[in-house]
Amino acid sequence: MSFQDIQGGPNPPSRRNQSPSQAVAAGIFQINTAVATFRRLVDGVGTVKDTPEHRQKLHNTRQRILLLVKDSSAKLKSLTESDRDANANASKKIEDAKLARDFQTTLQEFQKVQQLASERESAYTPAAPSSLPTSSGSGEESVGIDVESQPFIREHKRQEILLLDNEISFNEAMIEEREQGIREVEEQIGQANEIFKDLAVLVHDQGVVIDDIHSNIDASAGATTQARVQLAKASKSVKSKTSWCWWLLAIFVVVLVILLVVLIF
Amino acid sequence: MGILYALVGRGSVVLAEFSGTTTNASAIARQILEKTPGNNDMHVSYSQDRYIFHVKRTDGLTVLCMADDTAGRRIPFAFLEDIHQKFVRTYGRAVHSAQPYGMNEEFSRILSQQMEYYSSDPNADRINRLKGEMSQVRNVMIENIDKVLDRGDRLELLVDKTANMQGNTFRFRKQARRFRSTVWWRNVKLTIALIVVLLVIVYVVLAFVCHGPALPSCF
Repeated sequence: MSFQDIQGGPNPPSRRNQSPSQAVAAGIFQINTAVATFRRLVDGVGTVKDTPEHRQKLHNTRQRILLLVKDSSAKLKSLTESDRDANANASKKIEDAKLARDFQTTLQEFQKVQQLASERESAYTPAAPSSLPTSSGSGEESVGIDVESQPFIREHKRQEILLLDNEISFNEAMIEEREQGIREVEEQIGQANEIFKDLAVLVHDQGVVIDDIHSNIDASAGATTQARVQLAKASKSVKSKTSWCWWLLAIFVVVLVILLVVLIF
Repeated sequence: MGILYALVGRGSVVLAEFSGTTTNASAIARQILEKTPGNNDMHVSYSQDRYIFHVKRTDGLTVLCMADDTAGRRIPFAFLEDIHQKFVRTYGRAVHSAQPYGMNEEFSRILSQQMEYYSSDPNADRINRLKGEMSQVRNVMIENIDKVLDRGDRLELLVDKTANMQGNTFRFRKQARRFRSTVWWRNVKLTIALIVVLLVIVYVVLAFVCHGPALPSCF
């Protein structure tokens, strides 16, 4: 970003507004360079290169970065205000917003490295022979403190262990009893399952019996229908017989009439 | 049986107690209170002959109950938890400055009710309630099995009856067919008889008209 801004500097026609932007870009570039140097110095903390001169150099670099940040921040603020007052074009505003974002990114990077530096400066001390007796003395003091309070700590730990053992045995007894209850419930569920299976078998067998009943009734219905047809035919024959009886009566009457006629003549 | 004795105390001071039977549970409970030092929370159980003393201490308040060994641990400790909550909710901060037996008149009745509840009601324990419900399901299923067996017996009778009905209808069809044949033959015989009678009559008339049995005049 900074290089693109620097290269694009001479291209825009209005040269009067480019000077502040270009200055801010240059400032951001210098800050990035200084932060890189600072990171290299921070990487040296805690190693054989860690010396009072190294710490002084670290401090000087930090101070220089802070000055650069202050200067660039002031320039960026004036640049933003001039953009807002002058109502510059959109591309100009976009470039200034990009500069602000780059500046913010650089600041965040510097804060990370500074935090790392603080941690390492606290964790390590410079390699100097004059400070060895002090650290050994503090070590002896800590050992003494441990020796003095060890019986009390041991007693406290023992009581805690006893309480925990009691709680563990109590919980185990509760869990055992709950397991027993759940096992009984499981057994009853198994019995219910068996009963359901038996019921299924019975219902299936009765289904077969019902199928037999159904086929018997179907056969009975068919046979009854055929019997009804036969009876209908028989009824028809009986009616025909009655008709023949009437014919017989008519013939008898005719014959009787003929005989009477013959006898009269 | 269940829970026979209950007690609420602070340290070694008894605040409320109730005994369902006349035993020496009160003396043993006091010994237990004195033998359990400190103010830390704990759950312990002590056995004495056929009875077990369950002790629960929370926030300096001790709840104790005596139950027979068939009650297990789950129900007595659920009882202790319930009593502790009721006691703290009823008396609050007064627990820490109460006199010995200061709450006995009011709380012994609650102790009695809860002892009765946790000893008799199966719903006091979720697993026991589930066990009861599963027993009900099993009973209902056994009833269903009996009903289905009865249904099977009646279905057997029904299949026998339908088999008989099938045989009867087959016989009915056979007899109907035979009856139709009989009536038909009878009709045929009647027709033949009528035709014969008609021919005889015609012959007689012709013989009379033609003046002789050999019909000489007509031919």
